[in-house]
Amino acid sequence: MINVKDLHKSFGHNEILKGITTHVEEKEVVVVIGPSGSGKSTFLRCLNGLEKATSGEIEIAGMVLTDPKTNIHQLRQHVGMVFQQFNLFKHLTILENVTIGPRKVKKIPVEEANRVARELLAKVGLVGKEQSYPDELSGGQQQRVAIARSLAMGPAVMLFDEPTSALDPEMVGEVLQVMKTLAVEGMTMVVVTHEMGFAREVGHRVIFMDDGMIVEEGAPKALFSDPQRERTKSFLAKIL
Amino acid sequence: MGSIWQNLPVILDGLRLTIQYSIVAILLMVVIGLFAALMRLSTIAPLRWIATGYVEIFRSTPLLVQLFFIVLGLPAILPVNQWFGQLTYPILAAAFTLSLNEGAYVTEIIRAGILGVDRGQKEAAQSIAMNGFQTMRYIVLPQAFKRMIPPLVNQAAQTIKDTSLLAPVGIAELVYKGEIVIAETFASFAIWGLIAALYFVLIFSLSKFSSYLERRLQVDKR
Repeated sequence: MINVKDLHKSFGHNEILKGITTHVEEKEVVVVIGPSGSGKSTFLRCLNGLEKATSGEIEIAGMVLTDPKTNIHQLRQHVGMVFQQFNLFKHLTILENVTIGPRKVKKIPVEEANRVARELLAKVGLVGKEQSYPDELSGGQQQRVAIARSLAMGPAVMLFDEPTSALDPEMVGEVLQVMKTLAVEGMTMVVVTHEMGFAREVGHRVIFMDDGMIVEEGAPKALFSDPQRERTKSFLAKIL
Repeated sequence: MGSIWQNLPVILDGLRLTIQYSIVAILLMVVIGLFAALMRLSTIAPLRWIATGYVEIFRSTPLLVQLFFIVLGLPAILPVNQWFGQLTYPILAAAFTLSLNEGAYVTEIIRAGILGVDRGQKEAAQSIAMNGFQTMRYIVLPQAFKRMIPPLVNQAAQTIKDTSLLAPVGIAELVYKGEIVIAETFASFAIWGLIAALYFVLIFSLSKFSSYLERRLQVDKR
């Protein structure tokens, strides 16, 4: 589903990604962990073209993202993204937040878009909030709307950029629950997170990144209980 | 004093012209400002240069000089009066110059409004596959517009006052008509006082309308 070959990304002279090579299978849930500044968010943002790769190749859902001939908007219809700060459209109602993509980008008629949106809002547990504005919702609710907004485009892959980091502790669970449901239903997911419980329970594979490189990757159980690299050991010792 | 009352229709005719020039200039300045702001934010360098040059030139020279230069100076080297008509050219040129001048300030207001919208909003729009136009049209501009209302109203008030500079280049409006009436009646104090009051009423109602508009948008769309 996702193939990344020798991905490099620099901001000026500052090299953030120093050659990432990995792949994600269909229906696989990959959790990316690592200290802040390790490049894990940048890596994720490269996967839907929010950051442009300096060199290397990214292939998603059969399209080569790094090929300048690829229509990036076409590709993004297949790659959903959930942000740390939710980034709901503040001037639109919850229902409009979920329908605006299908309506304006995919030109789906408004009744049909509304119907799908109501289904998705029910799925993330937000029935009755359709006419509210984002400011009127809690962080956990906003993040669940953001997930519904992404799902409304019918993506083949969902990217999560620290989806629970900006939430109050008591709201983390409701968002993780929605993500877990998605994973169980077979959504392909790449999740940057500090939630080790989620990684252990839901992740099929964990990637540990540090200093712009993949230090170690493997099944969550193996990586958490028996890390091979010193760097991984010291990181896990600090957070577990 | 009787002759002042007799001349009241002349003053009111001037007021009508001032309102007309104001409406045209305010509409045009917003259109020009929007395009120039989008050009200033464009990824295409030549578009940025053109828009920046335009803003700098019009902000760095006096409006009165611009009016003299384009309304009275240009006909000295180009047969513009023949192209547009002896009577039409000065009116068109003056209205257009005024709009361009005010548009330069509006460019900066709109640019700042667009830049003031959180970057995350744009990224979220991109992540649901919106292209640049859709992102601007449906996500960024509606949010930018709300915060642009107060400075835009301010600029509109400035524009109404600036229409008085059309008088020195021979365009009939409120000040121009006032001067005519004063020449006949010598009622300097009364006429200038009346003219000031009329400008005040125009601009005061505009600012009342804008606070109403702001309140409405605040309630409906948070």
